[in-house]
Amino acid sequence: MEKEGDAKPKNTAPRLCCVCNHRRPALKRPKTLDQICRECFYEVFEEEIHQVIVENQLFKPGERVAIGASGGKDSTVLAYVLSKLNRQHQYGLDLFLLSIDEGITGYRDDSLETVKRNEIQYGLPLKVVSYKDLYGWTMDEIVKIIGLKNNCTFCGVFRRQALDRGAAMLKVDKVATGHNADDIAETVLLNILRGDIARLSRCTAITTGEDGPIPRCKPFKFHLLQIPNCILTYAYFKRLDYFSTECIYSPNAYRGFAREFIKDLERIRPRAILDIIKSGEDFRISTTTKMPEQGTCERCGYISSQKWCKACVLLEGLNRGLPKLGIGRSRGLNIERKKDVKENNLTESIESKQCGTLDF
Amino acid sequence: MQLTLEFGGGLELLCESKKIHKVNVETQKGVEKLTMKDLLTWVRTNLIKERPEMFMKGDTVRPGVLVLVNDCDWELSGQLNTTLEEKDVVVFISTLHGG
Amino acid sequence: MACSASGCQSNCYRNEEDDREAPTPPTQTTPSSSSGEPTPIANGNHSHGLCLKCKANRPISSSSSGSGDDARFCGDCFRSNLFGKFRLAVTSNAMISPTDRVLVAFSGGPSSRVALQFVHEMQHKAQQNFDASRDRSLPVFGVGVAFIDESAVFPVPSCEAAEGIEGMRLIVSNLALPTKELLVVPIESVFSSESSNEKNQLSKLLDAVTDATGKEDLLVHLRMLSLQKTAAENGYNRLVLGSCTSRIASHVLSATVKGKGYSLPADIQYVDARWNVPVVLPLRDCHAEELNMLCHLDGFGSLKTIELIKSPCSGINSLVSSFVKLLQEENPSRQSTIVRTAGKLTPFHFNRIPEIIDSNVPLATRRRQKRYNLKANESISSESFCPVCNSPLSRSDLVGTRNAGSSCKLSDLFSAACCSSCQFQILPKDPTSVENFYTHFPQLLVSRAKQNKSENLNLLRAQIQDCLLSDSEDET
Repeated sequence: MEKEGDAKPKNTAPRLCCVCNHRRPALKRPKTLDQICRECFYEVFEEEIHQVIVENQLFKPGERVAIGASGGKDSTVLAYVLSKLNRQHQYGLDLFLLSIDEGITGYRDDSLETVKRNEIQYGLPLKVVSYKDLYGWTMDEIVKIIGLKNNCTFCGVFRRQALDRGAAMLKVDKVATGHNADDIAETVLLNILRGDIARLSRCTAITTGEDGPIPRCKPFKFHLLQIPNCILTYAYFKRLDYFSTECIYSPNAYRGFAREFIKDLERIRPRAILDIIKSGEDFRISTTTKMPEQGTCERCGYISSQKWCKACVLLEGLNRGLPKLGIGRSRGLNIERKKDVKENNLTESIESKQCGTLDF
Repeated sequence: MQLTLEFGGGLELLCESKKIHKVNVETQKGVEKLTMKDLLTWVRTNLIKERPEMFMKGDTVRPGVLVLVNDCDWELSGQLNTTLEEKDVVVFISTLHGG
Repeated sequence: MACSASGCQSNCYRNEEDDREAPTPPTQTTPSSSSGEPTPIANGNHSHGLCLKCKANRPISSSSSGSGDDARFCGDCFRSNLFGKFRLAVTSNAMISPTDRVLVAFSGGPSSRVALQFVHEMQHKAQQNFDASRDRSLPVFGVGVAFIDESAVFPVPSCEAAEGIEGMRLIVSNLALPTKELLVVPIESVFSSESSNEKNQLSKLLDAVTDATGKEDLLVHLRMLSLQKTAAENGYNRLVLGSCTSRIASHVLSATVKGKGYSLPADIQYVDARWNVPVVLPLRDCHAEELNMLCHLDGFGSLKTIELIKSPCSGINSLVSSFVKLLQEENPSRQSTIVRTAGKLTPFHFNRIPEIIDSNVPLATRRRQKRYNLKANESISSESFCPVCNSPLSRSDLVGTRNAGSSCKLSDLFSAACCSSCQFQILPKDPTSVENFYTHFPQLLVSRAKQNKSENLNLLRAQIQDCLLSDSEDET
């Protein structure tokens, strides 16, 4: 970094944009640290996403694709860039916005307003599926009953399924989400921390669930959310309309720790984020580890390794006034260790002890 | 010195949910110029009403906060050493919230 | 049932699998077989004030903040529980055979102190059995102690160093028979035989590494090298490290962060026989807190420790260890979860003690080893290793070595064949200083690298034969 003492770098920035060599640079590109102006930054950023899409064959012409839209910066940028690239490069995609309404007053209702504005701004049809419609419960109602401790379990299980159901209603072939490199690195760490070996083995793939009904892909997989943060900068410079407030039912403490840890890492070694993803890709899960077998839920037909899917178990608990029914089995102080068999019932998790002394 | 400060990405919640602050920052006696370092100290004392640790870590912004001076990343202008001038616009956006 | 342990999120639903090391409510862990008395029904009832196991003595700590068994057991039971974990690890992985000579790496800290103590106790027991047995078919394994003196890197006032080493001598000589030797080895001695000024060479090498984390990690590799060298030169065939769960958990995360997901499983098993002298980790299931507590209880915590590890480090490693500490405070069993998760990654073929095929070794010993070494789990076989850190290389890492050609230049030997992590954090970026950098490497490393390379090349050629057109076409 230049130390220019009392120079006035803002106005007298000596260098010009490394791409057009014409305009004043506005930021440094994270990967190369080249100075680049705003306009060229847009082009470079969009081109990078385009390359990722092409190289990884994320989409096929004629596909219907739902963009998981939370109203946050990543999904807003994704919606904007995807619709732009779709026009520019003639992907031939039918794009939709798909939002989940968890029913969280003061959080989701506000961010949904943002998505509704995006619907108009980008001209993409919007579908909102709500927990209330799908399950008969809003998160506000659930939290009233179970308190703030396990609400993220409910929300996570319900959301995963709601996104699939919404995608099915839209009859799309694929769901694209705004997960960036930092999110994926965070997921790798969290899966290690909670012992979820099944998810650890698949969370780094750019497209997941290809064997399931509706695959999901993450076009921002390679995008570091670092300082300067491309996605955020893009959103800010383009004055994209996004919503930024943390969920009011705050997540697990260790998730917060993990996020903070990633930020600190990124500061001292930016490539650490991509290294974590590389590690995740290189992990080879021992085949003696018991993995949940995929089947379908007898109650709702959703993919499940159990008789009933997790959402149905949780829902049954809520409806019967025993909200802890579903959490008891796979949650608790140390129960994370059994997450690899998480949706299995108790007898099966005892059987999984057969790994002997190598398994604690 | 008249400055426009903008807080986004959730940081506005730390200063009474107000996104844009038009402020007048006095430079220290005998010193002409105002640097970003001085500004951060000033913001912390005068604008941040709660959870300052969400904004700062040590003597700089917390990792994950994007800083733009006149729409230009402060990495280009020398970060804490950036000298500010009358009517400059400084933007702080947190990347920590929401996806 | 409710749960009394702090940090418990909700209704716990445990089975016995959890009870081995987690701070579970006492009602569930009471071994009903150990006593005829009815077990106390009261939930989390420390006020009864008796050890859960023997029900005779007071538990050593009544606070629920204890992260291990210390909150429930009396001093004796706590100790025997910890020794039990050690012994289980040793026996179920055939770590030590009667004919072995075992070198304990001793830093003066609590983990290696406990490792030394436990190995000693096991040896003492073996000696007693030997003396009592009629046929004397199982000899008693030998034990030695090695201290790697890193004062060349982290200077210590000479009087302090002398005092510390004297303290160690005292500890070792105070252990009951059989007598153990203490080897004090300066870390710079890895350079021996090639240079008269070893210290100088060490500092030149370390100074050339600009990345703080890389410097730390290189030192760790050098430490292992000098332990290996010491063991081999003094006729030992096992190296015992005091790595505990907490340490291994940190390693899992830091290796992940450094992009070493492929080689990670190699480092965290009970046995690591990729080295000439196989390395064993008998304290893999013990937490740092437990080991500290034991030292404290036994009074051998009064041991004078020499602070060798530079405390204010700024790199990735320190970030990781403070993260792990934070997690541990939030949930005391988190470290175990991390190690267990990583334990489900496929180990390598060298993560077991090699079979004894020497027919001079008594049959009883061989049979015994075989019985415990029968871990028929699948493993990855990797033939090529990073010349700097000795991590097994993945296929994609290997492809990078393709361009190395057959030149004998040191830079080709290393830069092209290194794992991506060493390449980034240890090797110099500036091409002009590369060749010079390698001249500082210990001869040991260089010769290993040369040997590896020829093996790598052959292996690689076999693996990518189909994709190769010909060498000449490929170069252009």
